[in-house]
Amino acid sequence: MRRFPDRILLLSGALLCFATISSPAAATSSSQHAFAARDTVPVLHAPEAFHEQLILKPMNDGSVYSHFQFTTHVGTMMDEEHFDGAASNIFTHYNLFPRSIGQILHSFDVEELHLTFTQGRWQYGDWGYPLAPSVGTGVELSAWMNDHTYQAEANWKGLTNTLSGLFCASLNFIDDTISIEPKMAFRHEGLYNVHARANTSSENAPRKLRYGSLPHENVCTENLTPWIKLLPCKNKAGIASLLKSHKLFDTRFYSMAVHVRPVCEDELCRVKSLELTQTISTVFDVARQDGSYDWSLSGLFEREITQACPLASTSNVIVHLPQTTPDSNQYQLGPYPPHKTYTTGAADNAQEIAVYDLRKTYSNESSTPFQLSLNWENSRPKSAHRYFTGFGQERGGLSIEVHNSDSQDREAILLDTLPWYLKLYLHTFSVEVNGKPLANQKDVVKKMFYQQAVDRSRPAVLELALNLPANSMVKFSISFDKVFLKYTEHPPDANRGFDVGYAVVTAPLPRQKGQIGYGGLDHSRVYQGRDASLVETRQVSSDTIAEDERDMIRVYTETLLVSLPTPDFSMPYNVITLTCTVIALFFGSMFNLLTRDFQEEEPTTAKDVKGKGKSKVE
Amino acid sequence: MSGSTSVATPASIFTAAFALRLALFHLPALASTLADQVEISTPITSFKRLSEGVFLFRNGVPPYDGGVFHQVCAKGHARADRAFSGAKTDRLFNLLLSKAPLLLGLFYPILSSPLLVNLLYILGDLAIGYMLLQITAIKDQDSAHAKKIRQYGGQLESPGMDGVTVAALYLFNPFTIASCLGRSTILYSNLAVVAGIWMGMKRNQNLAMFNIALATYLSLYPAMLTIPVWLMLNREAGGYSVQKKTAAQSASVFLLSLGSLFLLSFVLVDSWDFFVSVYGTILTVSDLTPNLGLFWYFFIEMFDQFRPFFLVVFQIHVFTFAIPISIKLRKYPLFVSFLLCTIMGSFKGYPSVGDASLYLGLLPLSSEIFKYMRYSFLIVNLFLYSSLLAPIFWYLWVYVGSGNANFFYAIGLVYGIGEIILMIDTTFAVSRRDFELLSPVEEVSADGTKPDWDRKVIQK
Repeated sequence: MRRFPDRILLLSGALLCFATISSPAAATSSSQHAFAARDTVPVLHAPEAFHEQLILKPMNDGSVYSHFQFTTHVGTMMDEEHFDGAASNIFTHYNLFPRSIGQILHSFDVEELHLTFTQGRWQYGDWGYPLAPSVGTGVELSAWMNDHTYQAEANWKGLTNTLSGLFCASLNFIDDTISIEPKMAFRHEGLYNVHARANTSSENAPRKLRYGSLPHENVCTENLTPWIKLLPCKNKAGIASLLKSHKLFDTRFYSMAVHVRPVCEDELCRVKSLELTQTISTVFDVARQDGSYDWSLSGLFEREITQACPLASTSNVIVHLPQTTPDSNQYQLGPYPPHKTYTTGAADNAQEIAVYDLRKTYSNESSTPFQLSLNWENSRPKSAHRYFTGFGQERGGLSIEVHNSDSQDREAILLDTLPWYLKLYLHTFSVEVNGKPLANQKDVVKKMFYQQAVDRSRPAVLELALNLPANSMVKFSISFDKVFLKYTEHPPDANRGFDVGYAVVTAPLPRQKGQIGYGGLDHSRVYQGRDASLVETRQVSSDTIAEDERDMIRVYTETLLVSLPTPDFSMPYNVITLTCTVIALFFGSMFNLLTRDFQEEEPTTAKDVKGKGKSKVE
Repeated sequence: MSGSTSVATPASIFTAAFALRLALFHLPALASTLADQVEISTPITSFKRLSEGVFLFRNGVPPYDGGVFHQVCAKGHARADRAFSGAKTDRLFNLLLSKAPLLLGLFYPILSSPLLVNLLYILGDLAIGYMLLQITAIKDQDSAHAKKIRQYGGQLESPGMDGVTVAALYLFNPFTIASCLGRSTILYSNLAVVAGIWMGMKRNQNLAMFNIALATYLSLYPAMLTIPVWLMLNREAGGYSVQKKTAAQSASVFLLSLGSLFLLSFVLVDSWDFFVSVYGTILTVSDLTPNLGLFWYFFIEMFDQFRPFFLVVFQIHVFTFAIPISIKLRKYPLFVSFLLCTIMGSFKGYPSVGDASLYLGLLPLSSEIFKYMRYSFLIVNLFLYSSLLAPIFWYLWVYVGSGNANFFYAIGLVYGIGEIILMIDTTFAVSRRDFELLSPVEEVSADGTKPDWDRKVIQK
């Protein structure tokens, strides 16, 4: 095929990046009707269709997994009788399918394309398997390319360069040095071979897989913007209007992908089409803000859906409902009830799913924002926060807040370790319950263990055995002085400050089965299961079996950054010189005064002395 | 007594000083602001650290050995108790609390009552004022039969300030008031020093030496004052053998008092750890919190390998002057004690304005030298300049962030230069007056004109 010089490719890619993608014409209602009837009657002309879907899944660790999926189908071929030659012929008309992607596929003879941008690491242990197929950190690009004309090598180069321009990413660095051709790991995702023609024996037409990844590619807004431009409704309407880059990139995990593959529209694969799937997967750490596991759409994304995308055939918001038992923590989903609930999976892996159909919600021209929220009955079982108070670099205060939202008093142990360069004053230690100072600290603080810090050798340790009143916020405050450190004790980036580690609240909780929402509980149980024999022997020897029936959960506070006063690091020589000069001034003068006596000056001439003296007196 | 007419009686001065302090203590914002000022509260003298020590002491934590504070109420977990008691109290070399244990003992019973604490501070200040009054009286008695200096115009030297003025200069010195309101514990050290001098002037050997030992016990440096106080005890004393005998007696009283104070402290806190904590902190300058002295920035910026060397040099430098000054100015023990206090206040590790209030209070005792001073104007300005700008520059550095450490250090240098010029100038003035005494001006010079009182002199 054509062989572009690299430079021209890059240029064209960049132009694509900024060019507005030809927006599809308003979808005809007839096509949607046809689509709805697709399942039963195979139609020859697979119409274009656009589906949007948002899946929200609360995780066991309290975070919320959101998965946006936008699927665009374009009929690439007629059925076999009406097959009119090369698939590429179809790429002369664009309605919903983005022209930029179509042109790329066409130009470089690409059958399948998988491009994923990911930031963060998917925690399989905590989150299970992702809904998105690819979650490797960095950028992953793989493509099946037609090698009829033995141009795959050049096309791959052109593809990476063009995609680089399209998505404003450094994909052009996926060159021969890091491109590979896996033989076994990757298979066709597509459901048929585009270039396999009935009248030719090219069932195994030459196709080549190219794969490359860039682990250090940072994903950011400039990659998201071109991605959004590929959508028919952009982010103006429908589910995509939730995509706000500030919130999306402020998550524990972010993955954005573009997948293109050929699919069949019917069982016999007589009607074939090309499928473009765009996904964004994010994992929101909802508990980070205020320790609560409650969430809402507007809270997660800081945007609202005010209308469905009119071009979309389906527009669904799907919530995977958390599993609960009657005795555990209950939740409330709003708005309730959803349009549809159903269960997937077998008995053990049964997953209840709630579906909200935005097309139904907005069928009557209403424009009220779509509100979706999930609130736990007991969303903040125990949480702890810690922060510095005061200002300036001389002294400050430390406050630790422990929330107990249980309806009964709870025991807990607070452990805080503070570095020696914060000089604590234990006599300033005070306790407040729900904002009111507590006269008798022993009501809350059952026991106290305080180890003073020792300069340059050990930190201060404060350990409190607490009895937290029901539905209370207990606040401990203590003040400290900041120590002035020698200049060699400061880290190289002295003005960044020093990190102070978290405080830990350890609280026993009644053991509950299938409990969800308490951080780390499942792990501790796994751990206990593994070490069951060990635990049991301990239980036998211990006389407090009752307490071991409980799970100890640990709640961690924030780590803090404290800025200590810094000297001027460029001054050592100046300070040594100036100080020594001042001391020498004293020593010299005093030495002079102590070792010498006064003596009357011999007047050289009487007049001279007299004149001088008189003028001085008067 | 003095012939000068004084409108103020001692009673009115003391009443006014008492009322002023009591009124200012009732502005809690002022007192707490002053207590937080680094110029007033050093790690050694801060009332906040004293409160912490008393608090720990009251709760059974050895305040000096980095022990653990372990408050157990009657009903606690049996299991947790075992875990807690398993924690070993390891005694580390520790600079936790650099307060003499007896101060803890002094404040132990009264700390919960702010009024009593405030009264203790006010009375301490008034006691110093009273003792300065008494010292002036004794000095006036002495100078009554001393040789008079004939001054310009043939007049006899007028007597120095009277006691009330001296006391008023101390009591109404802004430094004194600020230090008192800031509840700096340097006051008790100052009290012991002045009491030692008073007793020295009264020739009460035992009490004088005990007070100096107490001051030494509280802040170490006043050990130097044993020499001028011994000089006071031996004013116009007889021969060499008598002096030798009193020297031995004084030394033994001093050491005995110091030893018994240490023993008492040991009994109080039941460990010798305070020794390292208190005097280790003073001598090694391990707390580098800024103050008006020259040490803190020097040792923050000092290269690690030279730190011990300069530490030793600086500390020796403070003590070096005690003997030469006492020999040279042995006729003026009051001035020697002033000079040594100024040296302490300038070159100790943690100076504060409380030290300045002591030497500025002792200075008027040698008021007769004022007219020989050459740089009074400069000195006054340096003190004003630094005491006005120090809080401002501190604020700019630590709170606003628009200045840096050099700002405050520079002010410390200016203050230090002010103190140094004060010492040099007063020493010059004493020597100059001494010269007048030794070689008085002749009534009428050879050519018949009256001579000038400020003769041109040179130092040889």
